[in-house]
This record gives sequence, C-alpha cells and structure tokens, in this order.
Amino acid sequence: MEYRDYYKILGVERSATAEQVKTAYRRLARKFHPDVSKEKDAEARFKEVQEAYEVLKDSEKRAAYDQLGSEWKSGQQFRPPPDWGSGFEFSGGGARPGRRQRAYRGGGAGAGEFSQEDFSDFFSSLFGGETPFAQAGGGARAGRDHHARVDISLEQAYHGTTRTLELRRPQVKSDGSVALETHTVRVSIPAGVTEGQLIRLAGQGEPAAGGGAAGDLYLEAHILPHALYQLDGRDVTLTFPVAPWEAARGASLTMPTLGGAVEMQVRAGSQSGQKLRLRGRGLPGSPPGDQYVQLKVVLPPANTAEAKAVYEEMRAKLNFDPRADLAR
Amino acid sequence: MVRVTTHVLEAHVLTDSDWIGAAEICQMCRLELAAVLELGDLGLLSPRETPSGWQVPATALPRLRLIGRLMRDLGVNVSGAALAVELLEAQRALERRIRDLEALAADH
Repeated sequence: MEYRDYYKILGVERSATAEQVKTAYRRLARKFHPDVSKEKDAEARFKEVQEAYEVLKDSEKRAAYDQLGSEWKSGQQFRPPPDWGSGFEFSGGGARPGRRQRAYRGGGAGAGEFSQEDFSDFFSSLFGGETPFAQAGGGARAGRDHHARVDISLEQAYHGTTRTLELRRPQVKSDGSVALETHTVRVSIPAGVTEGQLIRLAGQGEPAAGGGAAGDLYLEAHILPHALYQLDGRDVTLTFPVAPWEAARGASLTMPTLGGAVEMQVRAGSQSGQKLRLRGRGLPGSPPGDQYVQLKVVLPPANTAEAKAVYEEMRAKLNFDPRADLAR
Repeated sequence: MVRVTTHVLEAHVLTDSDWIGAAEICQMCRLELAAVLELGDLGLLSPRETPSGWQVPATALPRLRLIGRLMRDLGVNVSGAALAVELLEAQRALERRIRDLEALAADH
C-alpha cells in the first residue's frame, strides 16, 4: 500500500500545534465537504482530509505516526514496521503479541464515528481493527448498519433496475482469525426511486459480534444527470424546440417522455419559455410525477436568398413591433 | 478472498408510508436525540404520535442524514444545520431553474 503524508494533506508543518492542525482541518473540511463543495473530487479529497485529521488530532496516533519517520513520501510503497504500536499505552484493547493479522476494514469499534470502510488501507494497517490502536469491542453487540451509495440513471429510476454490489466484510473464522470477504449481492431496485431515497436491505450490514443481530445495509440512491431531462422530485422537465409557425399557429407534435413518445398539442400563440404539463409522465409513484415541457421557439436562419425573402415578407406584411411596450 | 454470490435481494424502498421512530433516526442519521427533538421544534419534522412514541416518514431521512453530516463534519449546531439545509435546497431549486433558462438561451 501507499504511504500517506497526513501533514501534507492538511497543509501543516510536522511541528504544527494541535490548534493549528484543527484550524487546518476545519478550513479544508469546509472547502471539500461533498454536501456543500463545488470542487471536483470533493468526496475523495474530503475523505483524505478526514483520515489525516483522525490521526493527527489524537496524540497517541500522531506520536505513533511520527515514529514512522519523516523520510517517507506520499505514494511510496509502505509496510508497517514489525513492532508497530509497541511502547504505547492504550486505553482500550491491548496489543496481542504474536498475532500477524491482515488488516481489515469494517466491523470493530475503531476510530471515531465514521465507517471503517472510509479508511484507506494505509490507515487500516496502522490503526485499524486488528492493530493495538483499535478499542476493545467486547461482548455481544448488534452489527452496525452500513450505508452505501448507488448511482442510477434516470431511465433506471423510471423502469427499475437490478444492481450488483460488492461488499467487503470481515468474517471471523473458527480459529478466531479474521479474513476480509467479498460478498456479492444483487439488489432489485423498483421503479420510481427518487433522488436521495433510502433503500433498506435487512441483515446485509455489519455482521454481529458474539450473537447480536446483524445490521442493515442502506443504499442511498443518486440519480445521475440526464442530457435531456431535468429531475425535480418526481417531475421531469424537457426543453423542446419548436418552429415559429408551430408556436404561432399551434401544432400536434411528437414528444419524448421516459415511457416513450407521446403526441402533444402546442397551442396557437405559444411563446418561448412557456411550460406545458404532461400529467403522470414523470417518475412513477403515488402520485406519479409530471413531465413539464418548456417550449423553445427557434428561428430558421436567414442564410439563403429565399429565407431572407420570407423574413422580409413577414416584416412587411405582419406589422409586428415587439418593442411596442418598451417605448412607454 | 472468497466470493459468495447470493440470490437477488428484494430491496425495500423507504417511502412516506414507512415510519421511523426517534431511536432509529438517531442511529441512521447519527444525531443525538436532543438534536432530533430540537429539529422537531424548529419545524423541520412533521412527526405523528403513536402509542410506541413519535415517528416521522422515511422520506425525511435524506434531509436528516444531511443535517447529521453537516453537524458532525463541519461542527455546525442544530439551528445552523437546519438553516444550511434549507438554503442548500433553495440553491438546488435555483440551479434547476437556471439550467432551464440556459437551455432556452443556448444555441440550437
């Protein structure tokens, strides 16, 4: 795995005080928090920053991390030293000498409140569940819920879809050792899921320790942006180009919807920006959403002699002043 | 690593017919009970009373989870997080409207 330079990530010197570390973290957290940030890669950067702070804010972890030495560079290949964690006193679980465990994610008490799945392999190898730094679990404990995000297209939200997920979970073997298992789960997502909606898969969260109930897996649905439609709740909006004669005289036009093409009546005297509503043509649900069609009147270009002549005729015969009200 | 393929699982989509109790909200949204009650006072929740305590519709959860994240990650207090959430939602609505208007103005 690759070494991570937590000081560099937070933009502080190795000699930074706890206050300086905290200030740096708060500034970067505000900058990259995925819910409010417009920066690209905000989520990845935020996780990086959170992990760095998780280590540098804790005097024990920071001291242990510093012991690795300042010669390491970000991205270099790295292994924790064999006597990792020795010489530290821990408030929670003790070191288990002689146990060479592969680091794992998920389960266990571990650092802070956020999910172990968020940590890098680098962090897990140094501070994860099987290192002396993890707090003691102890006793029967219900498995925690896991949360994951699933991105679906608008069409998939409309029709429903099946999605395959890979979940990595620790499994305790009969000899007491822990191995990371990849568990493939196929989920049937029904039609009509909206942005941010939660989907529960009972019992697919963290397995229980010592007899408790397994946690649930919650998927948070995110609907990817679509080239044609804009989504708002269950409603969709489509911008629909029309010719001037179609808008002025009205027309019966074929229009796309998520469920297929439909005929729609454009009323005579329509203008750009006007919205028409196709009831029930949005995402399914009770009640289903609507499709709004925003008309966009597009002018034919006056790029041939004939076209110019037609426009000249319009000017001469229509007696039309669009600025009549402006002069007031 | 051992791969184990399971059957297709039926997912239960949480809708406004699913009611979530206070304890579950605290766990799922990682909020303290005091914070959840304060959000109720601020009018962000429309709970119903049942014999087993009060409940909110599951459709409130994404918003509550967002509040939980803002409070935890950015150190915002309850009223700050509530205000932030309302502003973020208003911002998204405005962005949608802007995209509509830009679609009108764009070259065809």
